[in-house]
Amino acid sequence: MNVSDHGVRPAVLDVKGLSAGWGPMRVIHDLDLTVFAGERIGLVGLNGHGKSTLFQAIAGLTGWQRGSIKLNGEEVGRTRSQGPGRYTHLIVRRGLAFIPQGDEIFHGLTVEEHLDSGAFTKRAWSERGIRKTKILLIFPPLEKLMKTAVGRLSGGERRMVSIGRGLMSDAELFLVDEPSLGLAPKIGKAVVEALMAVELGGSAMVIAEQNVALLEGSVDRIIGMHAGKLKGEASASRAMSAERER
Amino acid sequence: MNWGFIITNAITLACIYGTLAIGISVTWSSLGLINMAYGFIFALSGYGAWLASVYIAPNPAVVMVAGILTGAAGGLIVCLLAFIPIHDKPNFQLRALIATLAISLVGNQILLWWFGPRAKSLPRLFGNWNADIFGIVVTSDKLGASLSAIVLLTMILLWMRSSRRGLEIRAMMMNPHAASIVGIGVRRTGIYVMALTGSLAGLASVLLAQTYYVAPFSGITPMIKGLSIALVGGLGSIPGAIIGAIMLGVNEALTSSLLGGQYVLITQFLLIIIVLLIRPRGISGILDKAREA
Repeated sequence: MNVSDHGVRPAVLDVKGLSAGWGPMRVIHDLDLTVFAGERIGLVGLNGHGKSTLFQAIAGLTGWQRGSIKLNGEEVGRTRSQGPGRYTHLIVRRGLAFIPQGDEIFHGLTVEEHLDSGAFTKRAWSERGIRKTKILLIFPPLEKLMKTAVGRLSGGERRMVSIGRGLMSDAELFLVDEPSLGLAPKIGKAVVEALMAVELGGSAMVIAEQNVALLEGSVDRIIGMHAGKLKGEASASRAMSAERER
Repeated sequence: MNWGFIITNAITLACIYGTLAIGISVTWSSLGLINMAYGFIFALSGYGAWLASVYIAPNPAVVMVAGILTGAAGGLIVCLLAFIPIHDKPNFQLRALIATLAISLVGNQILLWWFGPRAKSLPRLFGNWNADIFGIVVTSDKLGASLSAIVLLTMILLWMRSSRRGLEIRAMMMNPHAASIVGIGVRRTGIYVMALTGSLAGLASVLLAQTYYVAPFSGITPMIKGLSIALVGGLGSIPGAIIGAIMLGVNEALTSSLLGGQYVLITQFLLIIIVLLIRPRGISGILDKAREA
């Protein structure tokens, strides 16, 4: 779609020569990826080919990693052999919203507190009232559940909370890992549609998803991932047909 | 049999031990650290309060604030030695257990070496008078101890409910991994948690020193009691810790007047074993309606 104007827009994320893994296992092999402002990218690929590990490496959560990761021009990647998660909060504060697979939630906090927890900057914290109302517009079912503990919600509702939490901050880069995983098809579709409705402005969003049909026509680029490397880059429609052939 | 005496004793003990238990429970669930140096922080803050009473003024407010501040400082020392350097290393929980145990042993010996084995006593903070509540005579120290523990705990719990920092601590208590994803720094929160729980130990130390003395090893038994209350309550649950504290407080008061003080630990551990046999996750297993994971 709007692949042509890459040159004009600043890169939100610039990954060069990234390798990452866990212990003796190397999951990501010398990967390069650039995400430009305003882009919505679909990252497709089978289970176990490194989609989640790529996201975790960007967030500094893998067991080890090396290579350059630039978030808004600032280097956040570093060669690291231990301490998963040690710098994650700093990377997150530079403008990353990571919405992990399997909803890393705080099961005893209410939905409202949960959304509050996503507002970690001073500005977001003081504006949290307005921001919560905006998120309720995206996910209306949460309105009745604001005072309920997240541990009592259904899978779909948890996913909404998890995404809503990511939207509370002023993130420049959204990494959404498998938004439809484990949800009933209809609910999964609704969640993905809500993601597509998020206004990006100067930020960018990368959605990892196995179900390519869900992304069809609504993302700007689709990138395939295979055995720890990026394979091919296509506009949404071409990737669709390629995926069907496989 | 003086039931009034037993009840007031039970409540006082529940307040003091509950304070310790909440400290241990919060530390464990947010940092994954079983703070074996809690007894040392307890004894240290007793000495802090004693020094303040001797060198500054034997004023109740001065003594109490000194105890709380020394406790917070003790918590920070433990955090800097046993949490910050090792929290992201493999087997952190075991390492931290050993590290805090080491701090406790070394610290207690330093206290013994510095202040000598003779116990010190703190000035009476709450005066010497009796109140008559519904026909039960309550001495001033018990009333004062219960009230100040309840006031400080309520303040801390309200702070944890309303502020961003408190929300961060609670979030980390539930899922430390997810906490980093929402921009919560484990180390920074660790410093807050340790200072906060240290100050709780300081308060408990000053309050318990109204009945007992300040001695180099005076922290060991309260720590064991606090730890067992935290266990009965279900580690990580504040309501559980409060109920556990009331249970063990009643048990201690009843045992010491029915059987004698030397049997307190026996009945206490029997009670703990029974609770954990029925509810392996402790009392919070009954209270907690949220699904795990």
